[in-house]
Amino acid sequence: MLEEPRETVRTEEEVRVKPKRRAVSRRSFLKFVGATGAATAAISQVNIAAAGNGWTLGLDQIPEDKLVNMYTLMLRSRWWEETMKETFLAGKDGLYGAFHISIGEEASSVGVMSALNEDDYIASNHRGHSHLIAKGGDINKMSAELFFRETGYNKGFGGSMHITDVTKGILGMNGIIGPQYLLAAGAAYSAKVRGTKQVAVAFGGDGSVNNGWYYSGLRNAALYKLPLIAVVENNGYQMSMPQHRTNNLVNLHDFGAGLDIAHEAVNGMDVVAVYAVARRAVERARAGEGPTLIETKTYRYYDHSGLAGAKPGVLGSFGLPYRSDSEVRAWIAEDPIPRLRRQLVANSVLTEEQADEIEQKVKAEVNQSIEHARGAPPPKEDAALQNVFAGMAVPASQFIG
Amino acid sequence: MAPKPSNYAVLEAVQHEMRNDPHMTMLYEYQRPVAVSPMGNVIDLYKEFGDLRIPDWGPIDEEWHVGGAAGIAMTGVRAIARVPSMCTLRCFELVFNQVGKLRHMTGGQVSMPLVIWQDAAGRKAGSAGQHADAGQEALYASIPGIKVVVPSNPYDAKGLMTSALRDEDPVIFFHYPSIDGISIDVPDEAYTVPIGEAAIRQEGTDLTIVGFGPAAVEIQNAIPGLKEAGISAEIIDPRSLKPLPIDAITTSVRKTGKLLVVDHGHETLGTASEIIARVAMAVPGAKLARSTFPDAPPPGAREMISWMTPDAPKVVEASRKLVA
Repeated sequence: MLEEPRETVRTEEEVRVKPKRRAVSRRSFLKFVGATGAATAAISQVNIAAAGNGWTLGLDQIPEDKLVNMYTLMLRSRWWEETMKETFLAGKDGLYGAFHISIGEEASSVGVMSALNEDDYIASNHRGHSHLIAKGGDINKMSAELFFRETGYNKGFGGSMHITDVTKGILGMNGIIGPQYLLAAGAAYSAKVRGTKQVAVAFGGDGSVNNGWYYSGLRNAALYKLPLIAVVENNGYQMSMPQHRTNNLVNLHDFGAGLDIAHEAVNGMDVVAVYAVARRAVERARAGEGPTLIETKTYRYYDHSGLAGAKPGVLGSFGLPYRSDSEVRAWIAEDPIPRLRRQLVANSVLTEEQADEIEQKVKAEVNQSIEHARGAPPPKEDAALQNVFAGMAVPASQFIG
Repeated sequence: MAPKPSNYAVLEAVQHEMRNDPHMTMLYEYQRPVAVSPMGNVIDLYKEFGDLRIPDWGPIDEEWHVGGAAGIAMTGVRAIARVPSMCTLRCFELVFNQVGKLRHMTGGQVSMPLVIWQDAAGRKAGSAGQHADAGQEALYASIPGIKVVVPSNPYDAKGLMTSALRDEDPVIFFHYPSIDGISIDVPDEAYTVPIGEAAIRQEGTDLTIVGFGPAAVEIQNAIPGLKEAGISAEIIDPRSLKPLPIDAITTSVRKTGKLLVVDHGHETLGTASEIIARVAMAVPGAKLARSTFPDAPPPGAREMISWMTPDAPKVVEASRKLVA
């Protein structure tokens, strides 16, 4: 079992966020999640397939193997990142390089990816481990890449922030903010030219909506009615800057209104709700009805980058200067994984024992992937001159003579 | 086979490759892909390939044309992004951090069969400031993972475009309008000019003159003057800046002992600087000189910009000084 939430009840006093410019932003954000969270808790007890409001689905509308897969993928992502975090903190393996943890955002990744086919495209961002795992990424190759090994996805050229698997339609994580909207729109354009029914999904955070490539990608997808889905995973902070300090919009998906495209928000802590919204967007895209902008209201439990405030065996970073610990706990109380587990057990999709078994199996896979990475060889130094161009090395100009 | 304007010659190459590849797509905004040959033949890619592969008159958004084409290319579909002359650098960041890096950064997983067709402006009077530039190819050539070609006549333009469209890597194709100053027969059928291969335009013994694109046109125009001055010049057009065919140049300078590089780009850190540095290392004792556009933006008045631009008379004058 994952660590149980420390707080299940949240009061207004505990949500101590004092935005200087506007009081509405964080509070309404949390209220949104609070409201939908309560609704989901009710759904987990009673199957309300006929609810009909469209923002979520009854579990009986989703095949059981898909539900179990969602649970497994969220756990795989959670434990892979948790274990990698522990490995970084322990220091024994001397891990180095960028490490942006997506823990807390797994429902957003898995919910969207559950609506995709294997040959659909995704263009991910720096916080994309969960996107990769949800799209079927191989954690052995991911672990090896974080160790900068030859057997890693990118053969040691990329590290955490650039993992790519074109064979699975994963056009890559990306260390620059914004290009994923253009690259995914291009991939969507390609699908249209080839006459396939593939869709392309761009993932970015609330910070990524602040540059022009976001506008350009969405605007052109709207113009050409491209099968693009832009998923803005709004975790409330552009690095350490709260949303209300970087954007005049409270609900980022409202931007879609100006482009006259479908747009909606969803509780990003509820994988079934995210899946419901994503499935609708995918249907729209495959039907030639153009792009959808989805805003998943979510939260990252750790710091933007690295491990400030993280401790071994503790879920989440605490004591960070730009957010309160009670805010972190309030979001952890909405954790998507125990939520889905409760739903699956209540609906007899899984027994408690089966759910435990899945978790144990995932943990073993993850540990195995780390062992694999430890034993894998590093890349050869001069391999660095390869892969600049196809089949042609560049000169080793650092030496003379 | 007949002389053709470069725009027509390049569109012939694109048309041929698009006929052989049912998915190849071009994004553009400004120069409609239509051209008429002197014989009256018309190429209209929009009409022939339709609104999907040739979306007519795209939005003024160079980041879309290049970023979107990069996304298309990542899925294995060849793409062309055509960029107008006043905005050759607007997509620079995308080329630097995405287009040029993705193959390497992903350990060789990503191929980028992308051609960025830059309709460069070139030095000309009247345009002033933002519409009379040259030399931006040097900036692109400094980016890893990018090939850069700069044809100096319509024949090379067609052959280099064909090579670019068949390459597995991103190629930036700089198309200067002044290359139409050279009249040359262009075959109707497809052919390639290999990327990374220089052309020796004239053999000679007194000095080596190197220039590409618009500077190569001026060198060509200087041939009568050089002859009149009794100078036997070996004239080389590298045609590609990345990979740079430096061996052809160093071989020539070993023979002549003197090198003049002519460049319509700026003096500091331009292509001329790179060629001279490489020749200096390879041919000790060679006499080296360059004639470039000064480190100043292009002014509008004819008197000023003509005086600044390395043209045929300046090539002759510089050659005289070098062989004296």
